[in-house]
Amino acid sequence: MRKDQNLGEYLRAQGVSRRGFLKFCSATASLMALPPSAVAQVAEALASARRPSVIWLSFQECTGCTESLTRSHAPTVESLIFDAISLDYHHTLQAAAGEGAENARMAAMEENDGEYLLVVDGSIPTGNPGFSTIAGISNLDMLKETARGAAAVIAVGTCAAFGGIPQAFPNPTGAVSVSDIITDKPIINVSGCPPIPVVITGVLAHFLTFGTIPDLDPLGRPTAFFGQTIHDRCYRRPFYERGEFAHTFDDEGARKGWCLYELGCKGPTSYNACATLKWNEGTSFPIGSGHGCLGCSEPGFWDHGSFYKPISAGLWGPRETLLGAAAAGAALGIGSAMAARARKNKALKEAEADSS
Amino acid sequence: MTLLDFARGPALQWSLIILVAGIVWRVLGAILLSTRKDLSTPRRKSGLKDGMGTIASRSLPASAFEKRIRFQHITGYAWHLALFVTVLFFGPHILFFESILGFGWPNLPNGVVLFAGAIALAILIALLIRRATNPVQKLISNADDYISVIIVMLPLLTGIIAFAHIGARYETLLAIHLLSIEAMFIWFPFGKLMHTAMTFPSRFQAGTSFGRRGIKA
Amino acid sequence: MNTPSQAFTEFQVSLAQLGQNTATDDWSDDQRMERARHTFMSRLDRRAAVDMDTCIHCGMCAEACHFYVATQEERFTPAYKIDPLRRFYRREVSPMRLFNRLFTRKLDADDLREWSELVFEACTGCGRCDMMCPMGINISDNINIMREGLAAAGLVPGELRELQDEQREKNTLFGVGADELRSVASKLAEQGTQLPLDKVSADVLLLTTAVEIRLFPEAIAACAKIMQKSGADWTISTEAFEASNLGLISGDKASRRSAISRIADKAKSCGASTVVVPESGHAYQALRWESANELGEALPFEVLAISEYVARALKDGKLSLKPASDLGSVTYHDPCRLSRQGGVFAEPREVLQVMGLDVRETDSNRRENLCCGGGCGEYAISRSARIRQQAFDLKRHELDDTQADAVVTGCNNCRINLMIGAEKSGWDMPVISLVETVAGNLAE
Repeated sequence: MRKDQNLGEYLRAQGVSRRGFLKFCSATASLMALPPSAVAQVAEALASARRPSVIWLSFQECTGCTESLTRSHAPTVESLIFDAISLDYHHTLQAAAGEGAENARMAAMEENDGEYLLVVDGSIPTGNPGFSTIAGISNLDMLKETARGAAAVIAVGTCAAFGGIPQAFPNPTGAVSVSDIITDKPIINVSGCPPIPVVITGVLAHFLTFGTIPDLDPLGRPTAFFGQTIHDRCYRRPFYERGEFAHTFDDEGARKGWCLYELGCKGPTSYNACATLKWNEGTSFPIGSGHGCLGCSEPGFWDHGSFYKPISAGLWGPRETLLGAAAAGAALGIGSAMAARARKNKALKEAEADSS
Repeated sequence: MTLLDFARGPALQWSLIILVAGIVWRVLGAILLSTRKDLSTPRRKSGLKDGMGTIASRSLPASAFEKRIRFQHITGYAWHLALFVTVLFFGPHILFFESILGFGWPNLPNGVVLFAGAIALAILIALLIRRATNPVQKLISNADDYISVIIVMLPLLTGIIAFAHIGARYETLLAIHLLSIEAMFIWFPFGKLMHTAMTFPSRFQAGTSFGRRGIKA
Repeated sequence: MNTPSQAFTEFQVSLAQLGQNTATDDWSDDQRMERARHTFMSRLDRRAAVDMDTCIHCGMCAEACHFYVATQEERFTPAYKIDPLRRFYRREVSPMRLFNRLFTRKLDADDLREWSELVFEACTGCGRCDMMCPMGINISDNINIMREGLAAAGLVPGELRELQDEQREKNTLFGVGADELRSVASKLAEQGTQLPLDKVSADVLLLTTAVEIRLFPEAIAACAKIMQKSGADWTISTEAFEASNLGLISGDKASRRSAISRIADKAKSCGASTVVVPESGHAYQALRWESANELGEALPFEVLAISEYVARALKDGKLSLKPASDLGSVTYHDPCRLSRQGGVFAEPREVLQVMGLDVRETDSNRRENLCCGGGCGEYAISRSARIRQQAFDLKRHELDDTQADAVVTGCNNCRINLMIGAEKSGWDMPVISLVETVAGNLAE
């Protein structure tokens, strides 16, 4: 795609029909909870949008987020939209290497100062700066430097949004999220391990259409996608309401598709769109294949106890502490009773003396 | 640490420690007090049978009294029954107990549990109103009586709210529900909720002391 | 039958004069509190502690209390009557005492004065609430502790205080002592009933009460006849005839102990194997259940209520009764301290049935029986007259509902209170004594 082409021209050149494009626009509008009347606006804005420059930084991550976004099994409008941005810097995807790669980043920052979008995946180590470096630059420095001229930052994946797995106990690298470092730019957290691809494109579409960032929840996530829990939208919800639970992964309840609450499903406390958008082009999502939600779009999901521990179960130390408590209680009880006995014996003598 | 993590973790652990230590402390502190051996010749030997008999028999009032306490009798039964159903047979609750005790049991349908919870809450409110208005109860009530009722009401209320997802995010509601239970655990050994444990020794000693005089208590 | 006799009228006059020259203690409030504290502290044992820790303030005990039911005055709720003790327990003895002090008001001498009214004037210690309490709390036991604490603090109502002091200091009650017993004995001898007074040794030591000597000499005669007929080797002691124990009622330890030890010493010195208690509920409680504990040793004699003695003699074939000709149906009023607190339920009913009587039960009976309203010395306290009469009305309705020809009781105290109530309200159901009925129907 040439830089002077707008998105509409590019898509037409790629053989995407007007009909297909509008379908995407209306789907995007509805995803973002916009009224139907906004579809035309979305279409017009997208069609005439200039390709924004995007710099993608990958820190302590596993490339799962990139995989999620690029490994669609067939080219889709979403992937084309994704192609349509000017992805000026992305380790995994760019052809350039070494000096050339870094130069590309610097160039993009210079050319689009104040306008480019910064996408980050992976968390940032704050321990030893040598834990993770790119071209000899620590993640922390690179993030600060690159964020300076960005219009907005999109933290893709739970690691970038909340610290994710690198931050899990005992957090050996001192990993933190983007928002722990960058406080003076709009940050959109697109959490998930990995996030749903269409959520990324939806956020991009929103930015391209309105030039603003969408409504965010208290954790900085677009409410259009993260406004409801998995549990709220789960097709197994009626079984929960009736108290019908699978107790094991192969019992009668599991075969009947009953609620997975007892098997540790984190759906009730996880805000994401999996239950409606689903994965693999709307094929399924974890609960659809009989496994509980891990809650991967939530902060600290790795440290909320076992994935298979129900959310109403306690998360606490060994049961033996209760034996200790009982022993302490016994000591107090015995002590108190002994003291009261001594006082009683004294009082007995005093009462005898009173009555004689 | 999120509020829910706090509620499920340290708050739960410490409230349980206080609960267990407090119950043992208070029960032992009372039953290890000295006691006078009754030197009178018993009418008949009394023991386990009388004690257990009274534990059972005081569960139903004598007919001469029943007509005068019918309201309390019926609400008392309904309240405890509804509480047991709510606490012990809601699926998520069983999982909670399982995480402490190491074993679980089958749950009841949520509709039944929700109904029981609502009944329990309604009865508690009625009893609280009665306590504040009935001349006898008003006179004999102390702070403990009100604190204990309210602190038991809160988990029921927050539980129903959490179940219905009203007013806040589920994790917040769940955390508040857990914290309200933990508040109750902490209050438990200090207030009259201890009757849960003390009723049995109390009835038992009534059974044996009246039993040796030939009276079925 | 209930027309007041000359003696009964005189007795009521002497009741009215009680408390006028009662000794008082000029103790400061602090001294009173200190003395009460010693007693409460020494009496709060495991049993009381469990009771104090179990009460949930449900208030159901009110519905068992004849004074509350009759008057609807909430201060008469049994749990409220022991509230100071509970407060004391919570602050001083409870395992959580340090915590409890934050929430529990300290007891003071004004509380003690206020509760003196509640536990003496508005409580007969009947123990009906003990049977009602869903938690199994022995409220009447705790009332006793309250009374003991108040007695130690010198806050016993004047009437009881005067009687208690008279018994301890002069060994008389209502002015009745050895001389009065002797004169009754000679009167009875004229009527053909011998009382073998002061035998050096005897198998059975029969007791009587000042009230019987003044009001019911027929009851003494009846006991004597029963003793004779059953072939007992028995005696009445002029030094230790008094079964009543005012110290048990007032809570005064020294009086209680002296009255008990007087009888125990006499029983031991004459080698009695059995002490027979006349128709007096609290005397039965004092001697049957409290004496060994009071003296700190198991006693070498058996204590029987006269109704138990009769039932046993009937069973052993030492006594036989003929059908009662002048009565058809009766209802038996269980004296609280004899039945609910003493365990004597079956024997009086068996005896009445042997005489061919139709024994009807009141709506509340046996362990749930309603108090006569003035039990355990309560009738002596003039200030409780109003509520006593209201409580009597409750009892009276239950008795009337049986439509029995007469009410039989086994306690002088109940008998007197029912007679007082009857006199005031014009009630005409005859109140008769079990032992007199038995003596009137002894078979040859």
